[in-house]
Amino acid sequence: MSGEQPPSNHPSGPAQPARAALPGYPAASPLDAATGAQALALRGLTKRFGEKIAVDAIDLDVPAGSFFGLVGPNGAGKTTTLSMVTGLLRPDGGRAFVAGVDVWADPVTAKTRMGVLPDGLRLFERLSGAELLSYLGRLRGIPAEVVRERAASLLDVLDLAEAGNKLVADYSTGMRKKITLAAALLHSPPLLLLDEPLEAVDPISARAIRGVLTRYCESGGTVIFSSHVMALVEELCTHVAVMAAGRIVASGELAVVRGSAKSLDDAFFHLIGGRERETEGLAWLRSSQA
Amino acid sequence: MAAVFASLKWRLVTSRLRVLPPRKRLLMLLGLGVLALLLIGFGLLLAQLRTLPEAGLLVVTGLFSTQLVAWILTPLIAFGVDETVDPGRFAMLPIRPQQLQRGLLISSLVGYLPVANLIVLVGAAIGVSYRSWMIPLALVCAAVQLVTCVVFSRAAATSMAALMSSRRGRDLGMLVGFGVIVLYMLTSLTLGSGDSSGIGAGAVAITEALAWGPPGSLASLPALIATGQWSRAAVAVVVAALFLGAGWWWWSAALRRRLTSGESETTGSAPSRGLGNADAVAGTVSGTAQVIAGRDLTLMWRDPMRRMPWLLSLLMAIGWPLLVFRGAGAVYGCALGALLIGTQAANMYGYEGSGLWMHLVTFADRARARGEVIGHALSVVIPGVPVIVVSTVTVAAVRDDWANLPGALGVGIAAVGGAVAVGCYLSAVVPYAMPQSRKSIFASSVAGQKGITVRATLGTMLGAIVTALPAVAFAALALLVAPGWGWAALGVGLLLPPLLLTFATRLTAERYLESAPEILAVVSAGDRV
Repeated sequence: MSGEQPPSNHPSGPAQPARAALPGYPAASPLDAATGAQALALRGLTKRFGEKIAVDAIDLDVPAGSFFGLVGPNGAGKTTTLSMVTGLLRPDGGRAFVAGVDVWADPVTAKTRMGVLPDGLRLFERLSGAELLSYLGRLRGIPAEVVRERAASLLDVLDLAEAGNKLVADYSTGMRKKITLAAALLHSPPLLLLDEPLEAVDPISARAIRGVLTRYCESGGTVIFSSHVMALVEELCTHVAVMAAGRIVASGELAVVRGSAKSLDDAFFHLIGGRERETEGLAWLRSSQA
Repeated sequence: MAAVFASLKWRLVTSRLRVLPPRKRLLMLLGLGVLALLLIGFGLLLAQLRTLPEAGLLVVTGLFSTQLVAWILTPLIAFGVDETVDPGRFAMLPIRPQQLQRGLLISSLVGYLPVANLIVLVGAAIGVSYRSWMIPLALVCAAVQLVTCVVFSRAAATSMAALMSSRRGRDLGMLVGFGVIVLYMLTSLTLGSGDSSGIGAGAVAITEALAWGPPGSLASLPALIATGQWSRAAVAVVVAALFLGAGWWWWSAALRRRLTSGESETTGSAPSRGLGNADAVAGTVSGTAQVIAGRDLTLMWRDPMRRMPWLLSLLMAIGWPLLVFRGAGAVYGCALGALLIGTQAANMYGYEGSGLWMHLVTFADRARARGEVIGHALSVVIPGVPVIVVSTVTVAAVRDDWANLPGALGVGIAAVGGAVAVGCYLSAVVPYAMPQSRKSIFASSVAGQKGITVRATLGTMLGAIVTALPAVAFAALALLVAPGWGWAALGVGLLLPPLLLTFATRLTAERYLESAPEILAVVSAGDRV
């Protein structure tokens, strides 16, 4: 893979866009065909922020039709990886293929094939939920009438029909995640990339989101989602990849990654090299006031 | 408890100095020293008024009243200047509201602003004391004035703290900020026009009325006692004391409410009425431009962050030339408004904030990228050009300056078009983050990006002026040689902008496609502010 690594001359933080710093990606290579069977394939994907290597030349295959969980502790590189796959963050090296299409060499095609729900980014706050869907749908080139029909059914399924005319600025966290999911599904993409879709979401909204995702997977779609909640990943996912310190430490079918551990949580703890902390030092901690 | 609050505030004030590197600290101290000297100079100037008792009373009455209004309005316009403004931060501490209120009063009196006010107030107190024995009394009145200002400022800030936690509250804050600017402009224009004897009489009448108000009562109390007007003096004492008491009670009530009730919410926002061009579909350049322009035009009135600059531009385009410029050539005064309207196209990606990710994941093709830029440009040109035409024609009609109309129209339209073209291009080349919290009308840049914000803003203005130069040159010929040249200016003004926009939108779209992730990284910084 080293021959295909683009130059890693990007600044670490937000900086002025620099024309000279753009890496040159090969337009096509035998890799494209080899990765075509996978919903997503990563080859040597790398990102550095200054001295820190956030994502360290990772390889990953996500089979089509799988419900794929990407788990790892804070700072493991999950969001950075998903951002590079979705075209929001330029990688310093490596390639990302969505159904055989290189995300950075052919972004026009790649972007029609994925739906994205990032974590921590704003929406167009002063549009209502319905307006947001109408705007993004039409921006994708879907006829207005079709967008209206799809938006209505998505709002209905995600229990946002009543809030459809309210501004997104007034939405709760759960409602925001749901409207972003609706926007991600609007063009019926074969691949969904979701960064912490159930983080800080109320149980009712979480149930609605899970229902939609399960249905989507059953109809042949592929879902990749990052999460901290092992129980959720264990319940929903068919496949899982564990990230730590910018690397994939295990990936494959859920049962294989879990191995002989009691739960995915235990397997995860073991895989990332977690250490049980002693709590004897907290002997002074009682419910009575000091 | 008061000592704890005072030391806490002292640490907050001095920690800003402590964290600076030695050279910057020295510079800041020097700056503060110069500022203190200037204030002392102003105070001495006020003290000189004691030789002119009547004028002294007038000036100090006006000063006290203005000072109070300024203290009350500051937290609304620039909410967040003081870290101790929001009492919600103390809600979890085991302090009684009365203790908290006294502590906050003490901490409010520690800081640069109260000291600066104190210097001016001491000067004013000496200014109204035309006999030496009046000085101690006037100083007490000045001290009460400062406490009154602080109490009312705090009461207003506390009442608004809950309000400012909701979206509508922040929108309202921006509107009030705009209202203050309009009021300031109108007042300065009213006082700056007309004959001077009229202003003098008006100012005297206003100040005499103000003298009955609480700050006026404090300003005039020493003089009332000195001249033996005992009943008026008693009324002044009662008015000032009652006012301060009312302020204290208001603050106390607001504090209790703030500490015991939750954040306000904007649950019942008015239903939206849909976007403009709701049937347009992207894919082609023109389709995308229609979709984008439809959204932008809707947001222009719905989003205060976009609405406020437009209101200011309209004020400068329509109100300003009519009020300020007179005589032949007055129509050219509309060019400044045209420039401001055109700059609304600047930093188009920055306005989206991190919401720009939705465009990034939706399209990456040339047609849509170009359509996006054209859509943004159209949403400025479509309302902007008619506004400038109407404004220029109105000024020409009011000032009977028809001869200069073609030239002024040419310059105005060239300025709008040039500013839009340069603004578009710099949006992609020098993007910068816009603070997304909308807490203040004056928040314009985020930490770490002040340099690029200034560069982009000045670049847009200068670039716009340069692109308008051909029209300006013909307009100058119209003024200096023959009015007929004005038509040449109009011709250039109509022809040049479309050409510039064609090039600028193409270059902008290319640059956006090359560096969209980097632009997103820069503009996302606005989320943190």
